[in-house]
Amino acid sequence: MDWTAIRLLYLSELRAAMRERAVLINGILIPLLMYPLMMWVMFSGILFVTARFESFASRVEIAGLPAEHRGLLERLEEDEGRIEITEVEAPTTRAATAYREEVENRLLAGELDAALIFETIVDPPGNAEVLLLSNGSSDPSQAARGRLERALSAERSAWLDRIAEQHGLEGAEWQVFEVRSNNLATGRQMGQFVMGMMIPLFFVIMIANGCVYPAIDSTAGERERNTWETTSTLATRRIHIVTAKYLYVATMGLVAGALNAAAMVVSFRSFLGPLLARLGGGDGSAFAFELPLTSLPVLLLTAVLLGALIAAAMMILAAFARTFKEGQSMVTPVILLVIFPVLVLNDPSMEFTPALAGIPVVNVVLLLRQAIAGNVLWLQLGITVLANGAAIAACLWLASRILRVEEIATGSFEGNLFQFLRQHWRPAGGKA
Amino acid sequence: MSTVQVEVQGLSKNFFDPSRGEVRAVQEVNFECRGSEIFGLLGANGAGKTTTLRTISTVLQPTAGTARVLGHDVVSDPVEVRRNLGFYSASTALYPRLTARETLTLFARVNKYPAERTRSRVEEMIERFGLGDYAGARIEKLSSGMKQKVSIARTVVHDPPVLIFDEPTVGLDVLNALDLQKAIQELRDDGKAILFSTHIMSEAERLCDRIAIIDKGRIRACDDLEGLRAATSQHYLEDIFVHYVTGNDTTA
Repeated sequence: MDWTAIRLLYLSELRAAMRERAVLINGILIPLLMYPLMMWVMFSGILFVTARFESFASRVEIAGLPAEHRGLLERLEEDEGRIEITEVEAPTTRAATAYREEVENRLLAGELDAALIFETIVDPPGNAEVLLLSNGSSDPSQAARGRLERALSAERSAWLDRIAEQHGLEGAEWQVFEVRSNNLATGRQMGQFVMGMMIPLFFVIMIANGCVYPAIDSTAGERERNTWETTSTLATRRIHIVTAKYLYVATMGLVAGALNAAAMVVSFRSFLGPLLARLGGGDGSAFAFELPLTSLPVLLLTAVLLGALIAAAMMILAAFARTFKEGQSMVTPVILLVIFPVLVLNDPSMEFTPALAGIPVVNVVLLLRQAIAGNVLWLQLGITVLANGAAIAACLWLASRILRVEEIATGSFEGNLFQFLRQHWRPAGGKA
Repeated sequence: MSTVQVEVQGLSKNFFDPSRGEVRAVQEVNFECRGSEIFGLLGANGAGKTTTLRTISTVLQPTAGTARVLGHDVVSDPVEVRRNLGFYSASTALYPRLTARETLTLFARVNKYPAERTRSRVEEMIERFGLGDYAGARIEKLSSGMKQKVSIARTVVHDPPVLIFDEPTVGLDVLNALDLQKAIQELRDDGKAILFSTHIMSEAERLCDRIAIIDKGRIRACDDLEGLRAATSQHYLEDIFVHYVTGNDTTA
């Protein structure tokens, strides 16, 4: 192998790529900034919703509130946010239907957010059938409904406590079950669980995304710019030129994946942890987004395997394209093909068996998830490396066979991989 | 007399075209080119000039026959052929995102020019082709005249003994075309063996030491201008060309 030529061509591809806006955006900026942007959007969204919620008053109307439940008004006012309560007498039986219609019209017109109608007072005193009216298509109405439900629930518990006390019962005696739940997972384990669900998915997408532009640019792009003939007159074997291009595409995929994973960990630690703590009202210790040290070599290994495999697959398909547009349409199936198993596998109960370790892409995703959880399954790891290595070797072998065909090397072949295989494939020492 | 640098014997190249079937683009072409010589391939569009030159430069593989550059066969030893060859064509573009200096360095190094002398060689080329003010600019930012100069510089930067110019003046304005012709003559004077294809008679007449007239993939005649004149009793190359291609005497 002419490693000097490969190195020179590889470095020149990388240098040119760093000057191409599309490569920088897809291969570096998106993987790096995706999570901070996502977190910022989430943060802003929550702040916006909170601020909006705090800025308006829930307009509720309560009809026929029994004297025993006057505490409900206090509970409503104690809840977060402003509230405007209109209390009305219970309508007479004859006027009840007309009153309800009138309330419904006001709700639908947005003049009222929710209404609570104590319809029938039943025995024993204090018990009632209550109608809660709201408009499910309106945010303020939904918020008002939530507040009424919370207040009713609290009022009901307090009422039951009082009744139980009157009967000489302690709270624990009539509760039957007192459930105390305890999540044994540490904050670190919870963080690893969340990252295990998210990192593999975006990792694969970002590696594929990082490979797309370079794969098309270095094949179809060269033909479109008429530089392929210039390159093919260089004093090195064509396989060395292709090797340099392949290493460049794989590097861009690897870099995109690694940057994305690093950005995810940093973003989760800096933004998501505090965000979840804020939402849960806790001290932030519920989620600790830290990758175990043992997962880092696995992360790197999976980035290399995925980058190498996706780059090889994409270059095989893009080799048939004569224009950038053709390249995009030929490479798109690879993206779908690698993302699909990740979406299907996004089930935490999926067990990483040795059999699954034999399926490229799937094995990398499961290996990565295990590694993030702090487990390294050595048998599966070995099978994963072998299976992906075999898939990469097969892709490169196919690529070398394809590029030996003059029509493809010169861009005069009109067709795609499948047409090529139909025309040139001879199992017993064929034409290609 | 200089030694033979390029030998072409019985060279044929066929293509398969889905609509036309087997196309015989080049048929049993024979010629040789020596150092300090500009050998012209003169033919109409589609005559087989570019296919012949692309085969010699190893971009295409011959269907039959042989081509050798400094004794290296284009099929069995393509890397050595390319190392000894500079290929320039109006259709071969430069890498738009590299600078002129980076392009020259890349071509010198990959084409096996000694690493320790590459820097001075690149600077020499920059000086020789007047690229000094633009050497650090990306190719995509250069004018077409400057791009053409960079193209010639990258063709010769590794100092190959054989140069191929395939219709190099296509698309150039008169002044740039004259500049290019002057550069080619200088390279011939430096001892290079130059294969030059064109369909422009005046260009071939002005530049070429010997001319092969090619038509439908076959060489119809090959001699210096005086020899061609003597053989056809025609003075102008245009008439000589028509004589061989159509068999008609335009002066009659």
